[in-house]
Amino acid sequence: MSVSEKVSLSDALSNVDVLDELTLPDEQPCIEAAPCSILYQANFDTNFEDRNGFVTGIAKYIEEATVHANLNELLEEGNAHAVMLYTWRCCSRAIPQPRSNEQPDRVHIYERTVQVLAPEVDKLLHFMYFQRKAIERFCGEVRRLCHAEKRRDFVSEAYLLTLGKFVNMFAVLDELKNMKSSVKNDYSTYRRAAQFLKVMSDSQSLQESQNLSMFLATQNKIRDTVKDALEKISGYEDLLADVVNICVHMFETKMYLTPSEKHMLVKVMGFGLFLMDSEICNINRLDQKKKIKLDRIDRIFKNLEVVPLFGDMQIRVAGTRIKMPWPLSSSPNPPSPQADLMVHLPQIREEHQNYISELARYSNEVTTTFKEAGSDSENKAVTELCLRGLQLLSSWCSVLTELCSWKLLHPTDHASNPRCPPDAEEYERATRYNYTSEEKFAMIEVIAMIKGLQVLMARMETVFSDAARRSIYAELQDFVQLVLREPLRKAIKNKKDLIRSIIVSVRETCGDWARGCEPQQDPALRGKKDGEASFTIKVPRRNVGPSSTQLYMVRTQLEALISDKSGGRRTLRKDLDAATAQQIDHFHKQSFYWAYLLNLSDSLQKCCDLSQLWYREFYLEMTMGRKVNKCTVRHQHNEECNDLITMEKRIQFPIEMSMPWILTDHILRTKEPAMMEYVLYPLDLYNDSAQYALTVFKKQFLYDEVEAEVNLCFDQFVYKLSEQVYAHYKQLAASMLLDKRYRAECAARGASTGCNAGRYASLLKQRHVALLGRHVDLCALVAQRINADMHRALDAAVAKFEAGDITGVVELEGLISVNRLCHKLLSRFLSLDDFESILRESDHGVLAPYGRVTLHVFWELNYDFLPNYCYNAATDRFVKCRGIQFAAGVQRERPQQYGHALLWGSKQLSLAYSAQYAQYNGFVGAQHLHALVRLLGYQGVAVVISELLGVARGLLHGTLAQFTRALAAAMPRHCKLPRYDYGSNGVLGYYHAQLTDIVQYPDARTELFHAFRELGNIILFCMLIEQALSQEEVTDLLHAAPFQNILPRPYAPEGEKPETKQKRLEAKYAALQIVQNVDKYGCGLSLLSIYTYNNTVVVDCLLWSALQFLYCIPVGDTQFTVEELFGEGLHWAGCTIIALLGQQRRFEALDFSYHILRVQRVDGKDELVKGIPLKRMVDRIRRFQVLNSQIFGVLARHLAADDERAGVEHVRCFPPPAAPHHN
Amino acid sequence: MSTPPRETIQKQIQQDWANREYIEVITGSIKKITDFLNSFDMSCRSRLATLNEKLTSLERKIDYLEACVTKGETLT
Repeated sequence: MSVSEKVSLSDALSNVDVLDELTLPDEQPCIEAAPCSILYQANFDTNFEDRNGFVTGIAKYIEEATVHANLNELLEEGNAHAVMLYTWRCCSRAIPQPRSNEQPDRVHIYERTVQVLAPEVDKLLHFMYFQRKAIERFCGEVRRLCHAEKRRDFVSEAYLLTLGKFVNMFAVLDELKNMKSSVKNDYSTYRRAAQFLKVMSDSQSLQESQNLSMFLATQNKIRDTVKDALEKISGYEDLLADVVNICVHMFETKMYLTPSEKHMLVKVMGFGLFLMDSEICNINRLDQKKKIKLDRIDRIFKNLEVVPLFGDMQIRVAGTRIKMPWPLSSSPNPPSPQADLMVHLPQIREEHQNYISELARYSNEVTTTFKEAGSDSENKAVTELCLRGLQLLSSWCSVLTELCSWKLLHPTDHASNPRCPPDAEEYERATRYNYTSEEKFAMIEVIAMIKGLQVLMARMETVFSDAARRSIYAELQDFVQLVLREPLRKAIKNKKDLIRSIIVSVRETCGDWARGCEPQQDPALRGKKDGEASFTIKVPRRNVGPSSTQLYMVRTQLEALISDKSGGRRTLRKDLDAATAQQIDHFHKQSFYWAYLLNLSDSLQKCCDLSQLWYREFYLEMTMGRKVNKCTVRHQHNEECNDLITMEKRIQFPIEMSMPWILTDHILRTKEPAMMEYVLYPLDLYNDSAQYALTVFKKQFLYDEVEAEVNLCFDQFVYKLSEQVYAHYKQLAASMLLDKRYRAECAARGASTGCNAGRYASLLKQRHVALLGRHVDLCALVAQRINADMHRALDAAVAKFEAGDITGVVELEGLISVNRLCHKLLSRFLSLDDFESILRESDHGVLAPYGRVTLHVFWELNYDFLPNYCYNAATDRFVKCRGIQFAAGVQRERPQQYGHALLWGSKQLSLAYSAQYAQYNGFVGAQHLHALVRLLGYQGVAVVISELLGVARGLLHGTLAQFTRALAAAMPRHCKLPRYDYGSNGVLGYYHAQLTDIVQYPDARTELFHAFRELGNIILFCMLIEQALSQEEVTDLLHAAPFQNILPRPYAPEGEKPETKQKRLEAKYAALQIVQNVDKYGCGLSLLSIYTYNNTVVVDCLLWSALQFLYCIPVGDTQFTVEELFGEGLHWAGCTIIALLGQQRRFEALDFSYHILRVQRVDGKDELVKGIPLKRMVDRIRRFQVLNSQIFGVLARHLAADDERAGVEHVRCFPPPAAPHHN
Repeated sequence: MSTPPRETIQKQIQQDWANREYIEVITGSIKKITDFLNSFDMSCRSRLATLNEKLTSLERKIDYLEACVTKGETLT
């Protein structure tokens, strides 16, 4: 749009309205305080600059407005000085002091000191001048008002309140000046330097400096000066009594809005009484004269014993300054209601609930229907709703701040709170240890209510302020133009000139007449009643409220009309009839709140301001930047201990003592699910404090401190939160995977394996959390940390496996599945890495062809499994030989200690799971092999098998070849099968004699058989793992069936051809037929078929017969049996070699032991031959024969399949699937 | 300074009401624009955060795949 193009107002406004129609979705649930990047506040308070425009008003009040304007400026200045004092940080401590007069650079030091401190000292000088000026001005006003003539006149409420504000200001400044010893120290440092350098040469500046140091050094200087000055004015106490009374009245009728105004009223009562109380005039006498009502004040003081003075400074209003008995408030029992938040909580909850529901109704109405402007009554209702909201917010806020004040003034100690250590710091005692858990939760809840309602109200702010302006305008104009007609008519008729002039003045000051000016033909103006020709006034409607000056003028002038006191003269109120007086009274009361409503956004902010919960300048000043470390050794403390007191330099308190963090941390620590969604509200207190530092205190260093604390706290917050979220979901996953009955059993025994409800969902959706103007993506931060946790957890799972033997593979699989479920649960909220890729990364399988698990499996097989385990076909398991360790013990990495969160989630769950997996220790069976197959995949299994074949080759070529050569040499040349005629005992004797060398060969049992067992273990392992693999494949193939066009037979109702349905299904799943080569994953990988290489070992069946003879010899009861020691691996190894050499039939025909068996079958003898019981021997031979034939059967099947495949077609060589998880 | 006649003052005051109404309307509109900007800001932030999250996860996936493919050396 070009600049010259004109845009009409209505176009511009409709453009703005169109903005509403744009949809701006923001998917995060609102659980934080109002986040706003831009804050827009218009302030139309003119501070009476426009008073001259209202010349039609009564001159006296215009004059008063001028005075008001000046006083307001002074108050503002006073506030600036108070801020200066409160935020004063000691400079002199940082300035180096010259140690002696001889120090050469001392002049330089002094010069710099003066240079640095001069601007600060200037501020102090200005402060001194200001307080002088302010006291003078205040006393001037009091003197003017107490003048005998003037005293009769009525003094307006606003005027009295301003005087009250002055009293308050003096009190605050005086307390601040008393408290800040660093101000005095800084000034004396400056003074010393300045005197040394003779900067102040002329007598005037010397005098000034003297005055300033006296002013700073004298305690209660301001207060005493005010009191002295006031006592010289006669009748001042009456005026002050008026001030106090108006404060009591306003306090009791809740004529205030913000918490600070409320507290101001109480402070004015206290200091007003102090100023009145002197030798000439005793407040008790005033009470007797009914000028003030001490019992009412006492009640107020009891309800609010401790009032925030400024920042974190508190004051106990009753008792300290004024020496008089306060029947209620000076007794400690019962304690003031402000000390107990729990008393207020139920009421606050109820108010909150009621208000929120009412507000929701309005807000729905507003957002769903479009209206130009509501009717008067609607506007009035909305305005009242808005005002009520503000009052509620303010009351909750003041409950909170009053509680904090109370707590600050009543610090705990070791005796009353055992958690508080005896050497705790002052501030720590006032904050950290001073709240019970319930109190903290209650505070969090109240803060959440305040901040939550603030958000809701801020959203409706335009609606509210629009309605407020319209309704205020309507009420004001109706009152001025219609209601005031009747009293005006009467005043004219009855010739009450004063009343007439006031009413006319009110009407003229703010009347907005339809025709531009008052209708002259109005009969009321002539004191006449409306005739038959009824006269009507049409009151216009506008969307604007009265200006601040207008409002002041109207209210003050009306107040003059209805005021009760007029100093002996007949009051104007008596001249009005009762109905009118009441109407005016009502209007006057109503209009008190208009100023707040017209400045809605400012009022809303002030009502919700909790910034003072963070400020601690007073306590910092008290500790003087030191932490006192007392003697902590347990002994009878004596004087020597005092020498041990050390000071630690410190300029801020740690976050553990800071209220916002105490509250945030409390939620995180207790993990209370109901409070979890409130966790961002206490953090918002930092926003309040930072806002206050920037806009009110206007101090960079305070903001920097808030910012530093926020940085620290937020890091902690994210750290703790993500840790908690991860642990929670881990627990959830682990307890979901635990067997239900087992869980019930655990619970019955008192070990809870369930997990608490955790309400993290809405927290994890937070994508922009507003903190100090920054917006933080909480979700991303938590995701980042949890991703790292995922990696570490899988790492821990693998490391745990690495630290144990091969039986741990089942537990590893369990851990991985728990992690997988946890990942799945968390992925609903967070974007995490792909689980399989995390798993591969933790397994170190991304860069290397095989990962840590595969390597460890192979390592365990090689060093532990093969040497130590024996196979038992009956149970289909490998077990360790009881009591004997065959090979040297294996050294594994020491198991690292991991937190419960990284493993199973919690201690109970860890116990439950370890009990479960302890069942799998001590043997290797089908479960382990299945787990192995699933974990390693084709690639891993292939690696393990090929490595095992290498081991087998080594065994065959090494140990076995060597032994067999040695044994072959010892074999008898001729060893025929003896004839049956010799009888079985003869045959046994013959063989025993022939084979005596071999039977007595010492290494046979210790070395050779073990080598055979290991070989057998390898063969068995390969066979069993193939079995497991093919079983897994079956399930895989079943799952993959639809992809291969294998569909289950569909159900076909009668009359429908199953084929057509089948066809339809095929067509439906046609899209799935993309993996034509899927069969390559399904093809059985006959592992044993690889086992075909030329056997160069000269084991022939005769040698094996000899060995078999050897192990068939029964052993004594106390000795280990062959089965115990070697399992069935031994037989497997022997049989395999024989089968591969094709000597199976020869073996079966010519084996020595078999021969004995055959002979014994015939003769059935049983005797002891050379110490060998024949019958037992034969039984053993029979058992082994059965076993051998079983083994030969299995082998024959494998070898036949192999031959077949070799004969018909060459084995198609598929490269092993590269990444098993891609199928 | 002579006081101007009543009607003039009343006219002026009425003019003042009208002017202030105009200012209020403008202020209200600015307030509405501010509200709009704030909610626009929030909405943009949440959408950008989602986008950022997606990009980050893609980036991590690419890193992973790159490592898978190259077996150690980085692609340039």
